[in-house]
Amino acid sequence: MSRLSMGALLRRSLIHRRARSFSALIALTVSAAVVTALLTLYADLDSKLHHEFRTFGANIVVTASDSSKGLPSDAIGTVRTAAGADANAAEFGYAVATTDRGTPVVVAGTDFSAVRTLNSWWKVDAWPSTADPSAALLGQRAAQFVADEHNLQLTFGDRPITLHGTGRLHTGGDEDSRIYVPMQVFTTWTWAKPSVIEVQVPGGEARVESAISRLRQAMPEAKVQPVRQLVEGESRIVDKTHALMYGAVLLIALTVAVSVLATLSASVLERRRDFALMKALGGSHSTLMAMFLLEALILAVGGVVAGFVIGSAAAWTISQLDFHTATLPRLGVMPLVLLLNLLIAAFAALLPVRVLRRLEPAALLKGE
Amino acid sequence: MENPIDLETRPDCAVIALHSVTREYTGHAGTVRALDHASFSIVAGEWVAITGPSGSGKSTLVNLIGCLDRPTAGELRIDGEDVAKMSATELDRFRADKIGFIFQQFHLIPYLSALENIMLAQYFHSMTDEKEARAALERVGMGHRAEHLPSELSGGEQQRVCIARALINNPPILLADEPTGNLDAANQKIVAELLQDLHAHGHTIVMVTHDPEMAGLAQRKIALSHGKVFCHPVGGPVVSLRK
Repeated sequence: MSRLSMGALLRRSLIHRRARSFSALIALTVSAAVVTALLTLYADLDSKLHHEFRTFGANIVVTASDSSKGLPSDAIGTVRTAAGADANAAEFGYAVATTDRGTPVVVAGTDFSAVRTLNSWWKVDAWPSTADPSAALLGQRAAQFVADEHNLQLTFGDRPITLHGTGRLHTGGDEDSRIYVPMQVFTTWTWAKPSVIEVQVPGGEARVESAISRLRQAMPEAKVQPVRQLVEGESRIVDKTHALMYGAVLLIALTVAVSVLATLSASVLERRRDFALMKALGGSHSTLMAMFLLEALILAVGGVVAGFVIGSAAAWTISQLDFHTATLPRLGVMPLVLLLNLLIAAFAALLPVRVLRRLEPAALLKGE
Repeated sequence: MENPIDLETRPDCAVIALHSVTREYTGHAGTVRALDHASFSIVAGEWVAITGPSGSGKSTLVNLIGCLDRPTAGELRIDGEDVAKMSATELDRFRADKIGFIFQQFHLIPYLSALENIMLAQYFHSMTDEKEARAALERVGMGHRAEHLPSELSGGEQQRVCIARALINNPPILLADEPTGNLDAANQKIVAELLQDLHAHGHTIVMVTHDPEMAGLAQRKIALSHGKVFCHPVGGPVVSLRK
């Protein structure tokens, strides 16, 4: 009857040295958890970051070559078709009117619903209802130029109009000095056409460039320009975040490897006499090394199983907190995590294996 | 002192034969000759005590006979095989087959029971056999302690388990390094009786000891001093290495 196998020996050894085994397991679990979390987030990173960048507003601006003529009448439809179904676009027309206090102010006609989606970063007290044709949105500074924002009286040329402000806009930019009105009211009142369309195309630099070239083809009479700073900034941030994550993975792997190296070395030094005895009983170098490496392998695999669960939970939490979306566990990252942990364990076992090779059973068993 | 022995008398009985065996160690301080042209033979069934002061070369000799080391020069034959010419792997195999070790400090694996410690020797030799392992424990009077861990056994009990482990693969040679060095008088007596019993049953025993009483139980003594076989033989059968 055989009840002493390699598996039983390893199990008993790991349990006997539970503090040491646990310490190695913790280190390998930490590495697997961090790598799982980073790789899980990494897999979703592009879409999440690009989603985040959408909140920064437009990354392409389409303007009329001749601002006095404005854009063609169905420019917004053409832009939406050319930019793609997932792009956001809002048109703007600009005119300078006079307030009831006699102060000149820039009035912008737009589609509130489209602007609200495009510029979700705008701070607005209360967005005007799209069903209310006389509703206006007053920039923080522009509100100071009017006598009564609830009874807003503006004059363009010799054409007066009465609107009512529903809320104030704070952006910290030029928008604060403008009064936004519905596009239909604007065109009827000023007879001016939309002259600018702001477009937000999701995705990286390449996707934006591709959208620009489609827009240029579709609207040869208009100027299509990227908001260069934003597009390049987005690309740089995504690249840097990738590099940062790779760097973090490497740093963590190295730290864990050193920690596991120390643990495994101590483990071999502690058990030099046990290994010497096994050698005296006829155990070959290869058998003893196989036992030791198998032990490291068991710890690495154990670390991966525990680390994957913890790492996936961490990725989910981080995703919820930072991106407000759930990131589900990705089994696809498991082979990479396993490979990395096995490499760490193998690297950490190099020095202890050298100690094993140099073992002198006679001296050790004599107690020297 | 080299002592050529008459090969014609017992040519087939030399289970251990050394001919001009030298072992040198080279370190930072230079080369140290731990064993200097040692020559002697031990026949099957003989009980030999190796004695000598610290640093005389006893441990080196035990390492060589135990196949844990190889000579720098000379010929060392165990059970007819020249171990000096064996590879490390062959030596591992040979050691598992031919030598049963009894250590002064017992060296039982702390997380294995008495029974499993014996089965460990079977594991590295061939296959584990619990029935045989239990029988070996019974033979040394430890059958009732089979499931106990070493920490639950007294020194004498641990040494008996160590002896059972040495016997389990039926090696032709038992190599005992100070087998009673860590035991009190009562346990020393038990172990001495066990060794006597094993010798009576035909086992070859090579025992390193400082204890004159234990040395007195052996058939003959081999004394070592400064790496040289100093006094050899004192009675017992005589075998020559020459062929």
